[in-house]
Amino acid sequence: MTTGVLRRVLGKLGALLLTLFLASVVIYSAILLTPGDPVVALAGGVRPTPELIAVIKAEHHLDQPVWIQYLYWVGGVLTGDFGTSFVYKTPVVDLIGSRFGITLLLVLYTVLLIVVFGVGSGILAARRRGAAEKAVLVGTSVGVAMPTFVVAILLIFIFGRLLGWFPVFGAGEGLLDNLYHLTLPAISLSVLYIAYVSRITRGAIVAQAHSEHVDTARVRGIPSERIFRNHVFLNASPQILAISGTTIAGLFAVSAIAEQAFGIGGIGSLLTEAAARKDLPVVQILSLLLVALFVVLNAVVDVVIAFIDPDSARSRRTA
Amino acid sequence: MSIGQLAGGRISPVARRVAQRDPLFIAAGVVMAAIVLLAVLGPLLTPYDPNQLYVGPVLSPPSVVHLMGTDDLGRDILSRVLAGGAASVFGPVVVVVLSTVLGSTVAILSAWYGGWVDAVLTRITEVVFAIPGLVLAILAVSMFGKGLIAPVLALSIAYLPVVSRLVRAGARSELGKPYMAALRIQGVGSLAISFRHLLPALLPAILAQSTIGFGYAMLDLAAISFLGLGAQPPTSDWGVMISSGQPSLLNGAPEQSLFPALLVVLTVLSVNILGARVTAWAERADA
Amino acid sequence: MTDPVLEFAHVSITAPGADGPRTLVHDCTLQVAPGEVLGLVGESGSGKTMSVRAVAGLLPDGFTVEGAIRIDGQDISELPAKRLRDIRARRLGMVFQTPRAHLNPLRTIGDFMTEALVTVAGESADAAARRAMELLAEVGIPDPERRMRQRPGDLSGGLLQRVMIAATLAMDPPILLADEITTALDVTTQEEVMAVLADLRRTRQLAVLFITHDLALAAAVCDRVAVMQDGRIVETLSASTMRADAREPYTQRLLSAVLPADLLSGQTAAEPILVVDGLQKTFHVRSARGGRREVFVAVDDVGFALAPGGSLGIVGESGSGKSTTARIICGLESADAGTVSVKGEDWTTPARSARGRRQRARIAQMVFQDPYLSLDRRQTVRQCLTEAVAVHRRSASRAELRARVDELLASVRLDPTLADRRPRSLSGGQRQRVAIARALAADPEILVLDEAVSALDVTTQVEILTLLDAIRRDTGVALLMISHDLAAVRRLCDQVVVMRSGRIVEHGPIADVLDDPQAEYTRLLLDSIPREGWVPRRRIPARVSVPDDSTGAASGSSTSAPITALEGDR
Repeated sequence: MTTGVLRRVLGKLGALLLTLFLASVVIYSAILLTPGDPVVALAGGVRPTPELIAVIKAEHHLDQPVWIQYLYWVGGVLTGDFGTSFVYKTPVVDLIGSRFGITLLLVLYTVLLIVVFGVGSGILAARRRGAAEKAVLVGTSVGVAMPTFVVAILLIFIFGRLLGWFPVFGAGEGLLDNLYHLTLPAISLSVLYIAYVSRITRGAIVAQAHSEHVDTARVRGIPSERIFRNHVFLNASPQILAISGTTIAGLFAVSAIAEQAFGIGGIGSLLTEAAARKDLPVVQILSLLLVALFVVLNAVVDVVIAFIDPDSARSRRTA
Repeated sequence: MSIGQLAGGRISPVARRVAQRDPLFIAAGVVMAAIVLLAVLGPLLTPYDPNQLYVGPVLSPPSVVHLMGTDDLGRDILSRVLAGGAASVFGPVVVVVLSTVLGSTVAILSAWYGGWVDAVLTRITEVVFAIPGLVLAILAVSMFGKGLIAPVLALSIAYLPVVSRLVRAGARSELGKPYMAALRIQGVGSLAISFRHLLPALLPAILAQSTIGFGYAMLDLAAISFLGLGAQPPTSDWGVMISSGQPSLLNGAPEQSLFPALLVVLTVLSVNILGARVTAWAERADA
Repeated sequence: MTDPVLEFAHVSITAPGADGPRTLVHDCTLQVAPGEVLGLVGESGSGKTMSVRAVAGLLPDGFTVEGAIRIDGQDISELPAKRLRDIRARRLGMVFQTPRAHLNPLRTIGDFMTEALVTVAGESADAAARRAMELLAEVGIPDPERRMRQRPGDLSGGLLQRVMIAATLAMDPPILLADEITTALDVTTQEEVMAVLADLRRTRQLAVLFITHDLALAAAVCDRVAVMQDGRIVETLSASTMRADAREPYTQRLLSAVLPADLLSGQTAAEPILVVDGLQKTFHVRSARGGRREVFVAVDDVGFALAPGGSLGIVGESGSGKSTTARIICGLESADAGTVSVKGEDWTTPARSARGRRQRARIAQMVFQDPYLSLDRRQTVRQCLTEAVAVHRRSASRAELRARVDELLASVRLDPTLADRRPRSLSGGQRQRVAIARALAADPEILVLDEAVSALDVTTQVEILTLLDAIRRDTGVALLMISHDLAAVRRLCDQVVVMRSGRIVEHGPIADVLDDPQAEYTRLLLDSIPREGWVPRRRIPARVSVPDDSTGAASGSSTSAPITALEGDR
């Protein structure tokens, strides 16, 4: 049995690496697919000076065949050399390094909100008939139509203009101040996903509660609290985990919207800005980073699910 | 014996019965119809030129003259909302149509041929799935420049895996059913089986998925415009309006952001309600 | 007679519905005494399952019960909820039709076995585990210690059903509710489970309410039988004198459906239309755990011949390879070795072109087990049959197609007014008639029946078998009948092939094989069929190598689910 688990983990790892490899090929080929001269694309869409052309050609090995260029690029990424932004005129690794922390903090804050309120309200709606269930159902129906930017402008209007309890711009200094500043951004990022996770949680629990093995437990007189824990929630958890995992894995990308709305200098706003300035080297590295985060987080969730349900085997493929 | 005859005979009575018992469904349908009308006819109904500066005072609240007030440049918000409807609604439509057609084709080929065709196509869709839609759209913008075209095409590809997974699973389960074996034993041709039996069986699920996908596409495209990477000012795309109204929020004039935001939420809300009903119908049709 | 431990007094059960409430069970009265097995027999939809669910507290939301259900003389509707739960936990045991669905797939057998002992009876975990292993041994599960650590996915259907029974006994309940507990099992496994049940009833004085659609089984294992039709108990009979005492026409219909039919005679000695020789098929199955590929030999050196207008039955349990053989003949699978030749042509590999498939379609057709699944649910009867006819008569006019469809409807004795209905609004028997009419559309010379009656109610089975026999006489079509049901094969076939684990164990004229079986396995199959005076026997020690249950293949209990899925016999 343990060899089976090991074999499956290794298989997953292989699939994950293959996906990452293929995704990196897709992302790298952006240089080739961009209309016009690759040198122009790498320089941010403007014709660079002859000196800069030489620098760009040398750095990206443009005189070599395409696959060699790719290998240099990937080799650089793997050894921590993310190349140079010719728009910011700085190494990309510095651009990302100074901004990653705040985005990570924002994402963790948001994950906390999603897990506590999303899963919590889902359980509540599944277990309590009547008013609580109705309230959660209506709330989540509206919630899944409330994107980050809409929640953000509402919060900015309410707190920035009317109440003034929370700051509506910037990320602050120091951890506590960071958290204080990130409260509204985290709320605006989480609302839609709280609603989504809540609905999935409720659905999974209700489906399990009607399953036949729960009938068996009921006939046997197992106390209802234990039935819920060991037969309903346990069996619903793979589905809840799968959906939450994919949602959370995607947060690093969508955080760009909250960062933009609240003027936070994280990797999301760097990505937006770089795209607006056509700074392809920065966008490529960030894309690869976000894809890697997405794929790895999903794979981690898959492993957790495999521990709960060893037979889930090949039912879900994310990597 | 056409697809329409086979599928069409069933939809209308069911839909009618659902509508009678379900006022929310009717409300959502009416809102959706109004939004679509607005997208088509909006530009003809604008009381003012949507891009004309200072048709009224700057940041005036809603009034008889300007029903939704005016923005920071004195433009009529109602006119801008009406004019921006087309881009805000048709962008997502293109995303849904392209991703559904491509995704379903890939999925049916995958399920039908199996073997290495399936393995290759599935691997490709898994790779696309690994790239979040927003990231792919931003990558496209940095390649092709700002505007709606690059994000729309990028999202069409990014949504493909969701469609193809669903349709592939449906097609595999359908092809595994005994009636498919029965058709083959009768000597019915492959094309006839796919178009007369397989596709109609999958249609409800595909329709349900497209309805829900439309909501997501609308949110994603509005977000890209909000980030300043999609539709460009002075275009009155709803996402652009929400973003350019942001500074006025702190001046106590939320109308410029609020009205387009309200329309986005209302549209997505109605689409979700319709989608849930279509899904329920699809599941019933499958039983 | 001792006082009944379980009693129904004028019980009616009503379901809520969009079109007003519907009463599913009407005025049902019955008693079960300790040590007694009461059979509750009826066809699908007769209300028997709802009756037991009412006792167990498993009715869906909104269902209402009138009258009194008494456990130990106590009306359960008068008890407070907590007390009732406790009484149910201690006094009732319930075993269901599908053990796999009724066990939590994520928890081990040990968890399942000990859960009630710990949480309801308050035993320590150690004591509960010891008790659980004793119980597993009592129901004949080998190596209980290992089984305790496994999950339901690792066990076969027959073993799971025994686990269910063992878990039920943990609280030593005086009442056992058994809801179609052997319906999903093979006959030999059914015999094992029934033998376990008979032992327990004797040693523990269990009162058993035994729900089944199978009157022969009920007659063989029950003391009394209550016959239920449309929610009413039409009569209650002593099992031993049932045949003589039955007064109700419905009971007599059920009884006639299980009587052995007259043997068909008259063998044709013409050149065979179908010859199968040395057929071999191997599946590579990836086991659910581990991901290691296992080789599963589904069909191993199978050969037989079918005469024009003849009828040959292939009999075996799940995993015997009988369905795979049929699928190879019809071109749904390809063989690894051996040959299939039809009218002298080689059919070993499936036809590639649509034209080739159409040509074969005019010779061999197939009728599947579940007509609801083998018909496109979106097509009306007429659309379905028109399509089947049009494939082979491309130039036919609308009127010609219509006439041919009417002819087909008449040939299966189906009311033409049903032609515009979809499968959903037809009965099981009507659906199977449509499927047969569709198979006849191409005027085939061979009709392959893959468990074609086993999903139907018993009275409907008889109608369909009679119809098929008539069609064979009228059209001279040869029948190849795949079935696990010896009685059905006996009714329709001249020749029989008995298969086990992919191989043929016996082969010959039906009367010879069934009346004087040579192979031990054939005798075992025949002995396993419930009948009057039947005493189910436990054979586990004697037949370790024999597949002991529904998923069992060559490697016995270690084989898991995917094989069943591939074989598709059930």
